[in-house]
Amino acid sequence: MSYVAARGGEQAIEQSERLYRERLGTIDATRVDAIARSLPWLVDRIMGEASLYAPRLAALALAQSGGDLYEAVLLLRAWRTTQPRLAVAEPLRQDKLFTHRRISAAFKDIPGGQILGPTLDYSHRILRTDILDGAGLEPEPVEMSPEPAPPHQPSLASWQKAQGLVVDFERQDVPKQDIPDLTREPLLFPAGRAHRLQSLARADTGGLMALGYAVMRGYGPSHPTVNELRLVEADVEISHPRGTVFSAGRVRVSQAEVASKAGAETIDLGFCATLGWNEVKIIAGGTLDLNEPHATKGSPFEEEFFLSHTEPVEGAGFCQHFKLPHYVTFQSTLDAMRDARRKQAEMASQAAAEEPAE
Amino acid sequence: MSLIEAPSFKRDLDAPKLNRTQPILTMHGISHRFGDVRALQDVDVTVYAGEVLGIVGESGSGKSTLLRMMNLEEKPDQGDYRLAIPGATANLFALDRFARRMLRARHIGIVYQNPHLGLLMRNSSSGNVAERLLISGERRFSALRSRGRQALDASEFPTERMDAPPIELSGGMQQRVQLAKAIALEPALLLLDEPTTGLDVSVQALVLDTLKRLQRERAITMVLVSHDLGVIRTMADRVMVMRKGRVVEEGLADQIFQDPQHPYTQSLVHAKL
Amino acid sequence: MKKLSQLTLPSQLMSYGFLDPSAKRELRRKLLKAIAIPGCQIPYASREVPMARGWGTGGLQVTLTLLNSSSVVKVIDQGADDGVNAASIRRFLAKVSGARETTDTCKATIIQSRHRVPEEIMREDQILVLQVPEPEPLRPVEHHISAARQMHADANYARLWLILYEQMVRTGRIMQATEYPSLVNGRYVMSPSPIPRWDVPKLHMARHLTLLSAGREKRLYAVPPFTRVEPLAFSDVPYRVEDHAHLTCSRSGLKGFFMNEIPKDDGGSHFELSDSGFCEKTLRRAAGEDVSIGATWYRNGVMS
Repeated sequence: MSYVAARGGEQAIEQSERLYRERLGTIDATRVDAIARSLPWLVDRIMGEASLYAPRLAALALAQSGGDLYEAVLLLRAWRTTQPRLAVAEPLRQDKLFTHRRISAAFKDIPGGQILGPTLDYSHRILRTDILDGAGLEPEPVEMSPEPAPPHQPSLASWQKAQGLVVDFERQDVPKQDIPDLTREPLLFPAGRAHRLQSLARADTGGLMALGYAVMRGYGPSHPTVNELRLVEADVEISHPRGTVFSAGRVRVSQAEVASKAGAETIDLGFCATLGWNEVKIIAGGTLDLNEPHATKGSPFEEEFFLSHTEPVEGAGFCQHFKLPHYVTFQSTLDAMRDARRKQAEMASQAAAEEPAE
Repeated sequence: MSLIEAPSFKRDLDAPKLNRTQPILTMHGISHRFGDVRALQDVDVTVYAGEVLGIVGESGSGKSTLLRMMNLEEKPDQGDYRLAIPGATANLFALDRFARRMLRARHIGIVYQNPHLGLLMRNSSSGNVAERLLISGERRFSALRSRGRQALDASEFPTERMDAPPIELSGGMQQRVQLAKAIALEPALLLLDEPTTGLDVSVQALVLDTLKRLQRERAITMVLVSHDLGVIRTMADRVMVMRKGRVVEEGLADQIFQDPQHPYTQSLVHAKL
Repeated sequence: MKKLSQLTLPSQLMSYGFLDPSAKRELRRKLLKAIAIPGCQIPYASREVPMARGWGTGGLQVTLTLLNSSSVVKVIDQGADDGVNAASIRRFLAKVSGARETTDTCKATIIQSRHRVPEEIMREDQILVLQVPEPEPLRPVEHHISAARQMHADANYARLWLILYEQMVRTGRIMQATEYPSLVNGRYVMSPSPIPRWDVPKLHMARHLTLLSAGREKRLYAVPPFTRVEPLAFSDVPYRVEDHAHLTCSRSGLKGFFMNEIPKDDGGSHFELSDSGFCEKTLRRAAGEDVSIGATWYRNGVMS
């Protein structure tokens, strides 16, 4: 029985899904919590791509999809889109972010200081096979520094702006309700800045990495320097109809500014931020943003190209859809092809007949 | 004007073709800046029916910018542009984008130095000519074939190769395809932007011969831009000398070449001779 | 003072018809706009739905917006009601809306379809929703969406005609198989979705409303009832549908409709009606059941 016109298709669908789920076994709250606890970076990555900050739901999506990331993102996105938009939060201000990690590659030291925070950047990547033999990997306790780092830091860019090194963006005063929202509007080109940054924020990590990396390797003119990279917790501040502003909770956010020397006098900055902590994504995204104004027409580094093709739900879905039957299309092509062949054969035999005999 | 029906600027075919006192093209007070650079400063141009106007000047003189404006690809900061074609009485720069596009497609032909700018390199050569005819509304396949063949033939392109893509052709042949495309709709104005630059001298001479023959037989009004005085001398009836965005001298070709007045023209002519 | 629970509606696990009201409102507005400008692609937000992009999410959003509990819904994939994806979509539609399911074209109020228009003539009270993978007919000649939009605004379709010209030159015939570019109401060229050429004439001056929706590409467009749909064709090279008029269905014995070719072990092939609902009804009538079969667009293999 072929899958295309399978009689009793419903039965087949049901059983194929069972086969898949059988491999995952029982999924319960314990498993979900274990995922949330043990895979925070993966949970962060999924939350960013889903543009939904909900660690427990993200862990649930990972459990339910057995770790197929595109499936997990689709689950979260499809859930997210049915939720009402209750309020628009206050804009984040750099100097109010609770900063865990903040580094700049552009200066040896920066106002507020370099803060390494949690990172594996300098560790030796050795696979601890002894764990498989029964050893445990207990994290060594963090030694408190005598002077705690300040929770808030000024942004490096504001220092650079004060120095006249960076040209400030023109400020736009947009009522909060009118801020463009990519989850409720189509992405059109040329995209507004808001749409571009939102699209980067929910882009596929691997896709951004590939294209950002291509720019860095010299396919784009901009060679990036990490001006400032931050892993922070941000208060989601909502203003009550009576006017009081309150925090509805904290979300992990990562943001990167990458710099390049555009002219002789000023530094250009590219920017990318996303929900969750995901450093590779924001460095790549910031690089693409930085490079875009100089991108060659028709190149993958034009906004229309890289935003269209790093959309994880659309890209993954379209790849998958080629498994659907396409036999009507194929039949129609076949018809034209056979007729064209017939025509060419006729023409050839005619030509042969007209050839004078030697 | 309906959006779909292309504006109909039918050429009056009974009009005397060689009335050289009748201006076809008039540009007045063209000025344009690129940033701080004054690309064109108060340039006036008149081109009469059936003549060949040559524009010479070194690179950066503004001659190519001026030609792009004649082709309505670019608008100047200031200036007025009129073509003597029935139905088009206004300043062409004031037309909307759609009307400009239709007018360009029907009444102006252009041959670029770089064939990539003028041709779809992977389509057939005849298809490149057909595109022009399609824009003008031709929907008969047989007519696309015959009119395409005629235009290629008139450009002295070997018609047995009419379906070869330009990418497989030599530089001279590519210019002939561009030319066929440009003349397919019998344009009121044919613009030539360094049409033979970069070709071998022998090929260059053949292409110029074709242009001259077309000019003689069809009395096509042409504007030829070149940095090559030899080409200008072969082709042009009148010459305009440009430098740094200004017209420094203008006159009949013989006069310019034998008795240049402006010191810059003198240096050009003497360097060449 | 009121309690919070008095200020809000009771919480529901899922909105009626799955999509939340703000998404449906947007879709209704965009659908009206699409109907007002036949063939013009209207961008819409295109929400994620519980199905992968490319699997009919565009059609699904339109159908979900139009469905109500009295609807009768038919879903076809490549002509078949029982293809796995068609069955899955139909099951989902019925589950979230309470609509009835059918495989009978005549009984449906909404037909969501991938790549086919049914053979039986559709009526004024029926809506056809076509799933569209690629809404932009200009994509083969212009990758940039922004530039393509400009070309539509200018009705600049010479490059599409040129594709047909090149096919004629190379092979002596038009090779465009499905997604045949067609001029709607004399203004916009649309892609009729990958329906075969056989089906394009059915959209011309049809009694029913056709809605076309691409979820991944976030565009929808419409062919309102009694609207001209003209496949691009040279005036001296007539538009040709697939050469299926003489083929006979090995199951139903019917002749003169679009067929699926089924390769046989002996190297030959036999044919089956592509419209499975129509085939089913014919078989049931032959078995003596009282089945009503609608008039068909094609009679004796000729479009009537």
